[in-house]
Amino acid sequence: MLANFLIGLREGLEAALVIGILIAYVRKIDRHDVLPRIWLGVGLAVVISLGLGASLTFGAYGLSFQAQELIAGILSIIATIFVTWMIFWMLRAARGLGRELRNEVDSHLTGAGWGLVLVAFLAVGREGIETALFIWAAVQASGSTALPLTGAALGIAVSIVLGYLLYRGVVRINLTRFFTWTGAILIIVAAGVLAYGVHDLQEAGVLPGLHALAFDVSAAIPPDSWYGTLLKGTLNFSPATTWLEAGVWLAYVGTVMTIFIRTVRGHRRSEEPIAPAANLSTQGA
Amino acid sequence: MITRPTRLGFAAAATVAALALTGCVANNAGDSTDTTISVDSSANDCALSANEAPSGNLVFSVTNSGDQVTEFYLLGDDGLRIIGEVENIGPGITRELVVLAKPGDYFTVCKPGLTGEGVGKAAFTVTDSGTDLSFGLA
Repeated sequence: MLANFLIGLREGLEAALVIGILIAYVRKIDRHDVLPRIWLGVGLAVVISLGLGASLTFGAYGLSFQAQELIAGILSIIATIFVTWMIFWMLRAARGLGRELRNEVDSHLTGAGWGLVLVAFLAVGREGIETALFIWAAVQASGSTALPLTGAALGIAVSIVLGYLLYRGVVRINLTRFFTWTGAILIIVAAGVLAYGVHDLQEAGVLPGLHALAFDVSAAIPPDSWYGTLLKGTLNFSPATTWLEAGVWLAYVGTVMTIFIRTVRGHRRSEEPIAPAANLSTQGA
Repeated sequence: MITRPTRLGFAAAATVAALALTGCVANNAGDSTDTTISVDSSANDCALSANEAPSGNLVFSVTNSGDQVTEFYLLGDDGLRIIGEVENIGPGITRELVVLAKPGDYFTVCKPGLTGEGVGKAAFTVTDSGTDLSFGLA
Protein backbone atom coordinates (compact mmCIF):
# COMPACT_ATOMS: atom_id res chain seq x y z
CA MET A 1 0.00 0.00 0.00
CA LEU A 2 2.75 2.48 0.97
CA ALA A 3 4.76 1.63 -2.17
CA ASN A 4 1.72 2.21 -4.43
CA PHE A 5 0.91 5.40 -2.50
CA LEU A 6 4.41 6.74 -3.22
CA ILE A 7 4.09 5.97 -6.96
CA GLY A 8 0.81 7.91 -7.08
CA LEU A 9 2.37 10.81 -5.15
CA ARG A 10 5.43 10.94 -7.43
CA GLU A 11 3.42 10.87 -10.66
CA GLY A 12 1.05 13.60 -9.44
CA LEU A 13 3.40 16.05 -7.71
CA GLU A 14 5.06 17.83 -10.61
CA ALA A 15 1.77 18.46 -12.43
CA ALA A 16 0.14 19.72 -9.21
CA LEU A 17 3.10 22.07 -8.69
CA VAL A 18 2.95 23.64 -12.17
CA ILE A 19 -0.85 23.94 -12.18
CA GLY A 20 -0.77 25.44 -8.65
CA ILE A 21 1.63 28.17 -9.78
CA LEU A 22 -0.32 28.81 -12.99
CA ILE A 23 -3.59 29.29 -11.10
CA ALA A 24 -1.95 31.48 -8.44
CA TYR A 25 -0.56 33.66 -11.24
CA VAL A 26 -3.90 34.09 -12.99
CA ARG A 27 -5.57 34.95 -9.65
CA LYS A 28 -2.85 37.48 -8.83
CA ILE A 29 -3.43 39.44 -12.01
CA ASP A 30 -7.21 39.24 -11.51
CA ARG A 31 -7.96 37.27 -14.61
CA HIS A 32 -10.31 34.69 -13.15
CA ASP A 33 -11.96 34.36 -16.55
CA VAL A 34 -8.87 32.48 -17.80
CA LEU A 35 -9.26 29.76 -15.16
CA PRO A 36 -11.70 27.64 -17.23
CA ARG A 37 -9.02 27.41 -19.97
CA ILE A 38 -6.48 26.01 -17.51
CA TRP A 39 -9.02 23.51 -16.20
CA LEU A 40 -9.89 22.62 -19.79
CA GLY A 41 -6.24 21.70 -20.39
CA VAL A 42 -6.11 19.67 -17.16
CA GLY A 43 -9.41 17.94 -17.91
CA LEU A 44 -8.43 17.08 -21.49
CA ALA A 45 -5.13 15.59 -20.31
CA VAL A 46 -6.82 13.46 -17.62
CA VAL A 47 -9.59 12.22 -19.93
CA ILE A 48 -7.25 11.47 -22.87
CA SER A 49 -4.66 9.73 -20.64
CA LEU A 50 -7.24 7.58 -18.85
CA GLY A 51 -8.98 6.79 -22.16
CA LEU A 52 -5.75 5.86 -23.95
CA GLY A 53 -4.58 3.89 -20.91
CA ALA A 54 -7.87 1.97 -20.74
CA SER A 55 -7.88 1.11 -24.45
CA LEU A 56 -4.23 0.01 -24.27
CA THR A 57 -4.95 -2.11 -21.17
CA PHE A 58 -8.30 -3.64 -22.08
CA GLY A 59 -8.50 -3.12 -25.86
CA ALA A 60 -7.14 -5.05 -28.82
CA TYR A 61 -3.87 -3.12 -29.05
CA GLY A 62 -1.04 -2.38 -26.64
CA LEU A 63 1.83 0.07 -27.03
CA SER A 64 5.33 -1.21 -27.77
CA PHE A 65 8.06 -0.30 -25.30
CA GLN A 66 9.98 1.75 -27.86
CA ALA A 67 6.93 3.84 -28.81
CA GLN A 68 6.06 4.44 -25.16
CA GLU A 69 9.57 5.66 -24.30
CA LEU A 70 9.73 7.85 -27.44
CA ILE A 71 6.36 9.44 -26.66
CA ALA A 72 7.32 10.08 -23.02
CA GLY A 73 10.73 11.47 -24.03
CA ILE A 74 9.37 13.78 -26.73
CA LEU A 75 6.48 15.00 -24.54
CA SER A 76 8.99 15.82 -21.76
CA ILE A 77 11.10 17.92 -24.10
CA ILE A 78 8.01 19.71 -25.48
CA ALA A 79 6.79 20.29 -21.89
CA THR A 80 10.16 21.90 -21.05
CA ILE A 81 9.80 24.28 -24.01
CA PHE A 82 6.31 25.28 -22.90
CA VAL A 83 7.15 25.76 -19.23
CA THR A 84 10.16 27.89 -20.27
CA TRP A 85 7.88 29.94 -22.51
CA MET A 86 5.40 30.28 -19.64
CA ILE A 87 8.12 31.64 -17.27
CA PHE A 88 9.12 34.41 -19.67
CA TRP A 89 5.57 35.11 -20.68
CA MET A 90 4.70 35.65 -17.01
CA LEU A 91 7.67 38.04 -16.67
CA ARG A 92 6.62 40.00 -19.75
CA ALA A 93 3.08 40.27 -18.49
CA ALA A 94 4.43 41.32 -15.10
CA ARG A 95 6.35 44.19 -16.68
CA GLY A 96 3.04 45.34 -18.12
CA LEU A 97 1.54 45.17 -14.62
CA GLY A 98 4.45 47.08 -13.08
CA ARG A 99 3.86 49.99 -15.44
CA GLU A 100 0.16 49.61 -14.88
CA LEU A 101 -0.42 49.00 -18.53
CA ARG A 102 -3.29 46.62 -18.01
CA ASN A 103 -3.99 46.51 -21.73
CA GLU A 104 -0.63 44.91 -22.32
CA VAL A 105 -1.42 42.20 -19.79
CA ASP A 106 -4.78 41.66 -21.42
CA SER A 107 -3.32 41.33 -24.90
CA HIS A 108 -0.74 38.85 -23.63
CA LEU A 109 -3.48 36.81 -22.06
CA THR A 110 -5.67 36.71 -25.14
CA GLY A 111 -2.66 35.88 -27.26
CA ALA A 112 -1.53 33.20 -24.87
CA GLY A 113 -4.91 31.78 -24.02
CA TRP A 114 -4.42 28.58 -25.95
CA GLY A 115 -0.80 28.47 -24.89
CA LEU A 116 -2.08 28.25 -21.29
CA VAL A 117 -4.34 25.33 -22.23
CA LEU A 118 -1.30 23.60 -23.72
CA VAL A 119 0.91 24.24 -20.67
CA ALA A 120 -1.79 22.81 -18.39
CA PHE A 121 -2.35 19.92 -20.80
CA LEU A 122 1.35 19.04 -21.04
CA ALA A 123 2.00 19.41 -17.31
CA VAL A 124 -0.64 16.77 -16.60
CA GLY A 125 -0.41 14.73 -19.81
CA ARG A 126 3.37 14.32 -19.98
CA GLU A 127 3.39 11.35 -17.64
CA GLY A 128 -0.31 10.78 -18.19
CA ILE A 129 -0.16 7.57 -20.20
CA GLU A 130 2.33 5.95 -17.81
CA THR A 131 0.23 6.99 -14.79
CA ALA A 132 -2.99 5.79 -16.45
CA LEU A 133 -1.42 2.40 -17.29
CA PHE A 134 -0.34 2.12 -13.64
CA ILE A 135 -3.82 3.05 -12.39
CA TRP A 136 -5.59 0.61 -14.71
CA ALA A 137 -3.19 -2.14 -13.62
CA ALA A 138 -4.16 -1.34 -10.03
CA VAL A 139 -7.84 -1.50 -11.06
CA GLN A 140 -7.26 -4.91 -12.64
CA ALA A 141 -5.62 -6.11 -9.42
CA SER A 142 -8.57 -4.87 -7.36
CA GLY A 143 -10.39 -8.12 -8.14
CA SER A 144 -8.06 -9.80 -5.65
CA THR A 145 -6.92 -6.87 -3.51
CA ALA A 146 -8.08 -3.25 -3.29
CA LEU A 147 -4.88 -2.10 -1.56
CA PRO A 148 -2.88 -1.08 -4.71
CA LEU A 149 -5.74 1.05 -6.06
CA THR A 150 -6.42 2.66 -2.68
CA GLY A 151 -2.72 3.45 -2.27
CA ALA A 152 -2.38 4.92 -5.79
CA ALA A 153 -5.55 7.03 -5.43
CA LEU A 154 -4.44 8.35 -2.02
CA GLY A 155 -1.01 9.24 -3.45
CA ILE A 156 -2.52 11.27 -6.28
CA ALA A 157 -4.96 12.92 -3.85
CA VAL A 158 -2.10 13.98 -1.54
CA SER A 159 -0.16 15.41 -4.51
CA ILE A 160 -3.20 17.54 -5.39
CA VAL A 161 -3.47 18.75 -1.76
CA LEU A 162 0.24 19.70 -1.83
CA GLY A 163 -0.30 21.59 -5.11
CA TYR A 164 -3.20 23.44 -3.46
CA LEU A 165 -1.09 24.30 -0.41
CA LEU A 166 1.64 25.68 -2.69
CA TYR A 167 -0.99 27.77 -4.44
CA ARG A 168 -2.27 29.09 -1.07
CA GLY A 169 1.30 29.88 -0.04
CA VAL A 170 2.45 31.76 -3.13
CA VAL A 171 -0.82 33.59 -3.77
CA ARG A 172 -0.17 35.65 -0.59
CA ILE A 173 3.34 36.96 -1.35
CA ASN A 174 3.85 40.23 -3.24
CA LEU A 175 4.01 40.26 -7.01
CA THR A 176 7.73 40.91 -7.58
CA ARG A 177 8.72 38.20 -5.12
CA PHE A 178 6.08 35.92 -6.62
CA PHE A 179 7.64 36.16 -10.08
CA THR A 180 11.19 35.74 -8.83
CA TRP A 181 10.40 32.67 -6.72
CA THR A 182 7.91 30.87 -8.94
CA GLY A 183 10.10 31.60 -11.98
CA ALA A 184 13.18 30.14 -10.29
CA ILE A 185 11.21 27.09 -9.06
CA LEU A 186 9.76 26.50 -12.53
CA ILE A 187 13.23 26.70 -14.15
CA ILE A 188 14.53 23.96 -11.82
CA VAL A 189 11.38 21.87 -12.45
CA ALA A 190 11.67 22.32 -16.23
CA ALA A 191 15.36 21.35 -16.14
CA GLY A 192 14.40 18.14 -14.31
CA VAL A 193 11.72 17.36 -16.88
CA LEU A 194 14.23 17.91 -19.69
CA ALA A 195 16.80 15.60 -18.07
CA TYR A 196 14.07 13.01 -17.51
CA GLY A 197 13.11 13.22 -21.20
CA VAL A 198 16.76 12.69 -22.15
CA HIS A 199 16.84 9.62 -19.90
CA ASP A 200 13.73 8.20 -21.61
CA LEU A 201 15.35 8.70 -25.01
CA GLN A 202 18.52 7.02 -23.67
CA GLU A 203 16.41 4.06 -22.53
CA ALA A 204 14.74 3.89 -25.94
CA GLY A 205 18.24 3.74 -27.48
CA VAL A 206 17.71 7.00 -29.42
CA LEU A 207 20.41 8.79 -27.41
CA PRO A 208 23.63 7.07 -26.22
CA GLY A 209 25.25 6.88 -22.79
CA LEU A 210 22.60 5.10 -20.69
CA HIS A 211 25.24 3.33 -18.61
CA ALA A 212 27.70 6.24 -18.30
CA LEU A 213 26.69 7.47 -14.85
CA ALA A 214 27.82 10.89 -13.59
CA PHE A 215 26.92 9.86 -10.04
CA ASP A 216 24.95 7.17 -8.24
CA VAL A 217 23.67 8.06 -4.77
CA SER A 218 20.96 5.37 -4.71
CA ALA A 219 22.36 4.03 -1.44
CA ALA A 220 21.90 7.39 0.32
CA ILE A 221 18.65 8.34 -1.45
CA PRO A 222 16.74 5.13 -2.30
CA PRO A 223 14.28 5.91 -5.13
CA ASP A 224 11.48 4.07 -3.29
CA SER A 225 11.93 6.02 -0.02
CA TRP A 226 9.56 8.88 0.80
CA TYR A 227 12.27 11.52 0.40
CA GLY A 228 13.49 9.91 -2.85
CA THR A 229 9.86 10.07 -4.02
CA LEU A 230 9.51 13.76 -3.13
CA LEU A 231 12.81 14.65 -4.86
CA LYS A 232 11.81 12.69 -7.96
CA GLY A 233 8.24 14.01 -7.99
CA THR A 234 9.13 17.69 -7.65
CA LEU A 235 12.60 18.11 -9.19
CA ASN A 236 12.75 14.87 -11.21
CA PHE A 237 15.96 14.15 -9.32
CA SER A 238 17.30 10.73 -10.26
CA PRO A 239 19.73 9.17 -7.72
CA ALA A 240 21.53 7.48 -10.63
CA THR A 241 22.08 10.22 -13.19
CA THR A 242 23.87 9.77 -16.52
CA TRP A 243 26.51 12.22 -17.80
CA LEU A 244 24.22 13.29 -20.65
CA GLU A 245 21.34 14.01 -18.23
CA ALA A 246 23.63 15.98 -15.91
CA GLY A 247 25.13 17.93 -18.84
CA VAL A 248 21.74 18.84 -20.29
CA TRP A 249 20.45 19.85 -16.82
CA LEU A 250 23.44 22.12 -16.16
CA ALA A 251 23.31 23.66 -19.66
CA TYR A 252 19.60 24.41 -19.31
CA VAL A 253 19.77 25.85 -15.77
CA GLY A 254 22.94 27.81 -16.64
CA THR A 255 21.43 29.41 -19.73
CA VAL A 256 17.83 29.99 -18.66
CA MET A 257 18.60 31.05 -15.07
CA THR A 258 21.12 33.64 -16.35
CA ILE A 259 18.61 35.12 -18.81
CA PHE A 260 15.91 35.02 -16.11
CA ILE A 261 18.01 36.82 -13.48
CA ARG A 262 19.10 39.46 -15.99
CA THR A 263 15.50 40.07 -17.06
CA VAL A 264 14.29 40.31 -13.44
CA ARG A 265 17.10 42.77 -12.58
CA GLY A 266 16.33 44.82 -15.67
CA HIS A 267 12.71 45.08 -14.56
CA ARG A 268 13.60 46.14 -11.07
CA ARG A 269 15.88 48.89 -12.31
CA SER A 270 13.27 50.29 -14.65
CA GLU A 271 10.63 50.08 -11.94
CA GLU A 272 12.65 51.85 -9.24
CA PRO A 273 13.28 55.43 -10.30
CA ILE A 274 12.35 56.54 -6.75
CA ALA A 275 14.68 54.22 -4.86
CA PRO A 276 14.83 54.54 -1.06
CA ALA A 277 17.60 56.87 0.09
CA ALA A 278 19.15 54.20 2.33
CA ASN A 279 19.56 51.99 -0.72
CA LEU A 280 21.27 54.70 -2.73
CA SER A 281 23.79 55.48 0.00
CA THR A 282 24.85 51.84 0.36
CA GLN A 283 25.21 51.53 -3.40
CA GLY A 284 27.31 54.67 -3.57
CA ALA A 285 29.75 53.46 -0.92
CA MET B 1 -5.17 34.26 -32.70
CA ILE B 2 -2.78 31.40 -33.41
CA THR B 3 0.50 32.00 -31.57
CA ARG B 4 3.82 30.40 -32.40
CA PRO B 5 3.81 28.07 -29.39
CA THR B 6 0.30 26.94 -30.35
CA ARG B 7 1.49 25.95 -33.82
CA LEU B 8 4.42 24.11 -32.28
CA GLY B 9 1.95 22.37 -30.00
CA PHE B 10 -0.17 21.15 -32.89
CA ALA B 11 2.90 19.86 -34.73
CA ALA B 12 3.99 18.06 -31.58
CA ALA B 13 0.55 16.54 -31.05
CA ALA B 14 0.57 15.22 -34.64
CA THR B 15 4.03 13.67 -34.15
CA VAL B 16 2.99 11.96 -30.94
CA ALA B 17 -0.25 10.69 -32.49
CA ALA B 18 1.69 9.24 -35.44
CA LEU B 19 4.11 7.55 -33.03
CA ALA B 20 1.24 6.11 -31.01
CA LEU B 21 -0.29 4.63 -34.16
CA THR B 22 2.92 3.11 -35.54
CA GLY B 23 3.89 1.87 -32.08
CA CYS B 24 0.66 -0.07 -31.63
CA VAL B 25 1.02 -3.81 -31.19
CA ALA B 26 -1.77 -6.37 -30.88
CA ASN B 27 -2.70 -7.30 -27.31
CA ASN B 28 -2.91 -10.98 -26.49
CA ALA B 29 -6.61 -11.27 -27.39
CA GLY B 30 -6.57 -14.79 -28.79
CA ASP B 31 -3.98 -13.80 -31.38
CA SER B 32 -1.96 -16.93 -32.10
CA THR B 33 1.21 -15.02 -33.04
CA ASP B 34 1.50 -13.56 -29.54
CA THR B 35 3.34 -15.38 -26.79
CA THR B 36 2.60 -14.58 -23.17
CA ILE B 37 5.20 -15.29 -20.52
CA SER B 38 4.33 -14.73 -16.90
CA VAL B 39 6.97 -13.29 -14.61
CA ASP B 40 6.95 -13.44 -10.81
CA SER B 41 9.02 -10.63 -9.31
CA SER B 42 9.61 -11.32 -5.62
CA ALA B 43 12.03 -9.84 -3.08
CA ASN B 44 14.96 -11.91 -4.33
CA ASP B 45 13.93 -13.65 -7.54
CA CYS B 46 12.64 -12.98 -11.04
CA ALA B 47 10.98 -16.23 -12.14
CA LEU B 48 9.79 -16.62 -15.75
CA SER B 49 7.29 -19.26 -16.91
CA ALA B 50 9.58 -19.95 -19.90
CA ASN B 51 13.14 -19.00 -20.86
CA GLU B 52 12.57 -19.37 -24.59
CA ALA B 53 9.99 -17.96 -27.01
CA PRO B 54 9.45 -17.68 -30.77
CA SER B 55 10.21 -14.30 -32.41
CA GLY B 56 7.31 -11.89 -32.81
CA ASN B 57 5.13 -10.16 -30.24
CA LEU B 58 6.16 -11.18 -26.75
CA VAL B 59 4.02 -10.25 -23.78
CA PHE B 60 5.72 -10.39 -20.40
CA SER B 61 3.04 -10.34 -17.74
CA VAL B 62 4.91 -9.24 -14.62
CA THR B 63 3.36 -9.74 -11.19
CA ASN B 64 4.96 -8.14 -8.15
CA SER B 65 4.73 -10.54 -5.20
CA GLY B 66 7.27 -8.60 -3.13
CA ASP B 67 6.58 -5.56 -0.96
CA GLN B 68 8.75 -3.03 -2.82
CA VAL B 69 8.01 -1.34 -6.15
CA THR B 70 9.68 -3.32 -8.93
CA GLU B 71 10.71 -3.01 -12.58
CA PHE B 72 11.23 -5.69 -15.22
CA TYR B 73 13.82 -5.46 -17.99
CA LEU B 74 14.47 -7.38 -21.20
CA LEU B 75 18.13 -6.73 -22.04
CA GLY B 76 20.20 -7.32 -25.17
CA ASP B 77 22.92 -9.99 -25.45
CA ASP B 78 25.45 -7.58 -23.88
CA GLY B 79 23.30 -7.58 -20.74
CA LEU B 80 23.17 -3.75 -20.84
CA ARG B 81 21.13 -2.46 -23.78
CA ILE B 82 17.44 -2.15 -22.87
CA ILE B 83 15.12 -3.91 -25.31
CA GLY B 84 12.06 -3.43 -23.15
CA GLU B 85 11.20 -2.26 -19.66
CA VAL B 86 8.09 -1.89 -17.54
CA GLU B 87 8.24 0.44 -14.53
CA ASN B 88 6.01 1.27 -11.59
CA ILE B 89 4.89 -2.26 -10.78
CA GLY B 90 3.59 -1.70 -7.27
CA PRO B 91 3.17 -4.58 -4.82
CA GLY B 92 0.20 -6.76 -5.78
CA ILE B 93 0.01 -5.29 -9.28
CA THR B 94 0.45 -7.08 -12.62
CA ARG B 95 1.72 -5.09 -15.59
CA GLU B 96 2.54 -6.12 -19.12
CA LEU B 97 5.60 -5.44 -21.24
CA VAL B 98 4.93 -5.87 -24.95
CA VAL B 99 7.95 -6.15 -27.24
CA LEU B 100 8.37 -7.12 -30.86
CA ALA B 101 11.37 -9.43 -30.42
CA LYS B 102 13.82 -10.54 -33.09
CA PRO B 103 15.53 -13.94 -32.85
CA GLY B 104 18.61 -13.82 -30.60
CA ASP B 105 20.02 -14.00 -27.10
CA TYR B 106 18.64 -11.81 -24.36
CA PHE B 107 18.66 -11.41 -20.58
CA THR B 108 15.76 -10.82 -18.22
CA VAL B 109 16.08 -9.14 -14.82
CA CYS B 110 13.83 -7.64 -12.11
CA LYS B 111 14.72 -4.58 -10.05
CA PRO B 112 12.79 -4.51 -6.75
CA GLY B 113 13.51 -1.24 -4.95
CA LEU B 114 14.51 0.28 -8.33
CA THR B 115 18.26 0.30 -7.59
CA GLY B 116 21.39 -1.69 -8.30
CA GLU B 117 21.94 -4.55 -10.69
CA GLY B 118 18.61 -6.21 -9.98
CA VAL B 119 17.80 -9.79 -9.01
CA GLY B 120 17.26 -13.09 -10.85
CA LYS B 121 19.15 -12.10 -14.01
CA ALA B 122 18.74 -15.01 -16.46
CA ALA B 123 19.41 -15.81 -20.11
CA PHE B 124 16.41 -15.69 -22.44
CA THR B 125 16.38 -17.04 -25.99
CA VAL B 126 14.18 -15.95 -28.87
CA THR B 127 14.02 -18.54 -31.66
CA ASP B 128 13.22 -17.75 -35.30
CA SER B 129 9.51 -18.25 -35.91
CA GLY B 130 9.71 -17.05 -39.51
CA THR B 131 7.35 -14.13 -38.70
CA ASP B 132 8.09 -10.96 -40.66
CA LEU B 133 9.29 -8.34 -38.16
CA SER B 134 10.08 -5.54 -40.58
CA PHE B 135 7.44 -3.36 -38.91
CA GLY B 136 9.19 -3.41 -35.54
CA LEU B 137 11.26 -0.58 -34.12
CA ALA B 138 13.58 -3.03 -32.37
